[in-house]
Amino acid sequence: MLSTQEQTLQQVVRKARAGRTTLPGKNADRGVDLAGAYQIQAATGRDRPLKGFKFGLISAAKQAQMGISTPLYGCIYADMIHSSPVALSDFIQPRLEPEIAIQLERDIAPNALPGDTQRAIGGFVLGIDILDSIWANYKFTAPEVVADNTSGGGFVLGPTLFGSLPGGNLRLYLNGQFQTEGPVAALGDPVQKLQWLAGQVGGLQAGQVIFLGSPAASIPAAAGTLELVDDAGHVLIVKLTG
Amino acid sequence: MVDQKINELAQRLDNAWENRRPIAPLRDSDGLADVIDSYAIQTRWTEMRLERGETIIGRKIGLTSKAVQQQMGVDEPDYGTLWGSRYFAAAHGRAEVPVDLFLQPRIEGEIAFLMGRDVRGPHVTPQEVLAATEAVALSAEIVDSRIEDWRIKLVDTVADNASYGGFSIGAWDHKLTEIDLRLLGLLITKNGEPAAQGIGAAALGHPALAVAWLANKLSSFDITLKAGDIVLSGAVAPTLPAVAGDVFTLEMLGQPPLTVMFT
Repeated sequence: MLSTQEQTLQQVVRKARAGRTTLPGKNADRGVDLAGAYQIQAATGRDRPLKGFKFGLISAAKQAQMGISTPLYGCIYADMIHSSPVALSDFIQPRLEPEIAIQLERDIAPNALPGDTQRAIGGFVLGIDILDSIWANYKFTAPEVVADNTSGGGFVLGPTLFGSLPGGNLRLYLNGQFQTEGPVAALGDPVQKLQWLAGQVGGLQAGQVIFLGSPAASIPAAAGTLELVDDAGHVLIVKLTG
Repeated sequence: MVDQKINELAQRLDNAWENRRPIAPLRDSDGLADVIDSYAIQTRWTEMRLERGETIIGRKIGLTSKAVQQQMGVDEPDYGTLWGSRYFAAAHGRAEVPVDLFLQPRIEGEIAFLMGRDVRGPHVTPQEVLAATEAVALSAEIVDSRIEDWRIKLVDTVADNASYGGFSIGAWDHKLTEIDLRLLGLLITKNGEPAAQGIGAAALGHPALAVAWLANKLSSFDITLKAGDIVLSGAVAPTLPAVAGDVFTLEMLGQPPLTVMFT
């Protein structure tokens, strides 16, 4: 059951998402804490098929700025998974992040051991996280962004499933021009992350996809050709339309 | 055709190359009809460029697909020379190509050979070619025509250095000399969308057969295919037009991609 303040914030988020409008964030007086924000997040997506989760705010520096000490997570619903071409007009203020996602082939219980968690990993894929937020210019408190599904917008998955986490860097190019890059090592240990997440959400299911978060700063989305490449030469190409 | 005429037509093609202004088909303007004359013009043009510091870094084979041969009314390929001034090195699999260098550029996906030993015809076989090959790579060839609106027949394109424009090469891989190149697939994505695809067999049935044809053809001009030569063995996918801003990515199974940006 959501409190009155939580219901109020849920309505605010719902209305802005439906109308594709932005609102000023960074309001610390909403009377909703992080646990309440996750309840709003779960309640808001209850009627949509769940396909996985995303990590947000994985860098310790950004966590400190937000006054938190763990990453945040958001839900990936089936209707958020896209394939090329992707229409940017479906989003409010889309931004792009280069990521790696884990495809699960077995369930992970909330208290799973590391070996079981490792065996649940079906493989790794390149992924584009298309961020979106109702909070103007992505200025928000931790409860605000969590209530808004941790800036979940859309997700695109790469064409190849890898048996292990690729090394080196992930790089994003838009219309042939280099945009941003970050080291895969910054994503941390996948097994630890899955165990933590399984504990937070009451277990993960076979078939779900888990976006591990971005090792690089996000970039504003614009129409054109988007390329995500890693050092091994894997590539994910997405056409973004206006 | 007399030497003076050969010279004049080579000069005309060179002017068109330098000024980026296309010319009328030579078969129309000058009655060029014999492909022997066309190869003489091509050879003369290359000589003129070498005198000004151009380098030869290999050869290209054209007209290797049945469809293109039928369209041109010919039953054999043709070849041209890869001039070093138009080799676009790919740093980390990415090459930038200034579109202003060309008249009416198009891009083709090809399988490139790096020769490890000299090969001299006649009677060279594809197996001989493979044994003499150091490495294979995917390649983006930029074809271009000095003939207006690409209104070419065999005699025009041969004189025009087989419509050479330039090229870039992906990572060389020795292992590719040991696979069945007929079945090697190539996908070209243009501006984020899959735009053309094909397999090695599109080049004369087998890319190494195209290279063998080249070695044999060159020997009729007393030329040896040399160790260190790069050979572009012919388009394996449909040709795509290119304009400034276009981004092409060429992919082959097991190989890092090659991205070509027209600026």
